[in-house]
Amino acid sequence: MAWFLGVDVGSVTTKAVVTKDNELVAYQTMPSGSNYKIAAERVVTEALAKAGLSSEDIAYAVATGYGANNVDIASQQVTDISCCARGVSRLFPTVRTIIEVGGQASKVIRVSSEGRAINFAVSERCAAGSGRFLQIIARVLQIDIKDVGPLSLKAKNPVTFTTGCAVFGESEAVSRVAEGTAKEDILAGVHNALAAKISNLIDQVGLEEECAITGGGALDEGLIMRVEEKLGVHLVVPPQPQITAALGAALVAAERPVAP
Amino acid sequence: MYFAGVDIGSTMTKVVIMDEKVIAKVIGPTGAEHRRLANEVMEDALRQTGMPFDEIAYVVATGYGRINVPFADKQVTEITCHAKGVSSLFPTVRTAIDIGGQDAKGIKIANDKVVGFVMNDKCAAGTGRFLEVMAEVLGLQLDQMGELSLKAKKKVQISSTCTVFAEQEVVSRIAEGALLEDILGGINEAIASRVCRMAQRLKIERDVVITGGVAKNKGVVKAFEDYLGFPVLVPEEPLLTGAIGAALIGRELTQKALESGQPIERKTRRLEAATFFE
Repeated sequence: MAWFLGVDVGSVTTKAVVTKDNELVAYQTMPSGSNYKIAAERVVTEALAKAGLSSEDIAYAVATGYGANNVDIASQQVTDISCCARGVSRLFPTVRTIIEVGGQASKVIRVSSEGRAINFAVSERCAAGSGRFLQIIARVLQIDIKDVGPLSLKAKNPVTFTTGCAVFGESEAVSRVAEGTAKEDILAGVHNALAAKISNLIDQVGLEEECAITGGGALDEGLIMRVEEKLGVHLVVPPQPQITAALGAALVAAERPVAP
Repeated sequence: MYFAGVDIGSTMTKVVIMDEKVIAKVIGPTGAEHRRLANEVMEDALRQTGMPFDEIAYVVATGYGRINVPFADKQVTEITCHAKGVSSLFPTVRTAIDIGGQDAKGIKIANDKVVGFVMNDKCAAGTGRFLEVMAEVLGLQLDQMGELSLKAKKKVQISSTCTVFAEQEVVSRIAEGALLEDILGGINEAIASRVCRMAQRLKIERDVVITGGVAKNKGVVKAFEDYLGFPVLVPEEPLLTGAIGAALIGRELTQKALESGQPIERKTRRLEAATFFE
């Protein structure tokens, strides 16, 4: 029983990672939907199937994320801050600052050389500071969220949003569309607005390089570019930026003493 | 003599014509495609009185869109106009809370003058927009919400301040089978708490008046009273205090000019399309 499981139930996406000897064996992601318990169960089943394992093969499972208490197989819940730090450090040991852009919150986490979170700042009270803002505007523009990044890179004159509120921002986007503003310029405007919010979080905890970006927001190359511009640093992006917290959870699970 | 006040809000455009009291009033949506409404609303008001535009001694424009009223003789901020309008209706008022379609303001009044104000126009929470979003997700008309919310027995707590996240909470509560009135009760509490926390920076003092479109919602007014622990005042037509204040300021300026023998500075009046983004 050398396999460990990490499950990250986010507000938008649920992820599961299986590890062995601190190496990634298999992972699976799926929308969290309206029933986190069902999403967690399915994502675990599918991740185990990919690894060719059954639940009996898992020595210890750790759950994390917004809906961590919905993961029946997990013996323990650990904060997503700790798990994210742990997961990123495993991939990039030299990273000292993590920018995590999730569906419902953005976080900046400062990490020690041992992969421990030593400080963090979170924007979770306002949709305009999270991936949610991008989803709202993508819906207004009738663009699939996956196409937002590539399209936004074509922006020539990014719009400036006059509001820091996702609801008012949605109205502004509607007005810009009516005026004939290019979609890419509106998207780049949202990226700039998010980059400004992230910069505010950085101001709270400081920035030490190297710096990584994770979460669903890290799938958006337009956002990455604007954040890099705003902060003046290069951002390291994990190959699967959404699963870093789940990976961290599996690594934390592996540190637990196995019951005799 | 007659005076007109024009209040162009983010959501509603209001016009009153007054002599000693209001003799004509018109309220119309400012709306995205109705941005050329100022002159239409003014014409409607004149039609009600049957008088030509020249009979109006002075026109004051106020509100978010006040600079785009080409026929106004003067522009005055909505804070000043609200304070003036509220004081004329309720001389005992010390704190005015105005909740419009896209903002919320707290105004502290002493001896008829504005002595302080706070404002939120950055975030939809605690504004009329918050109620609009909730009305849509609950499938209700705005004017149905107040009465229904008064039936709440077990108010649902809304823990998010952000309108987007609060909407999501409401969706979850609906799915869990919470009663509509209980959800509405929670929504009203959320607005009252958000706005009162802001207005408290001015130290809320009695009497308190609530104006703006949201004051038409009896449930929200009740939530304010519950939060504050005392009754609040609401004008008969809570949307009109800014326009009334504007007209009254026009009257004062005219009277001052007449007393000092100065000519009244009036613009050449043209009733023509006004837009916000020229």
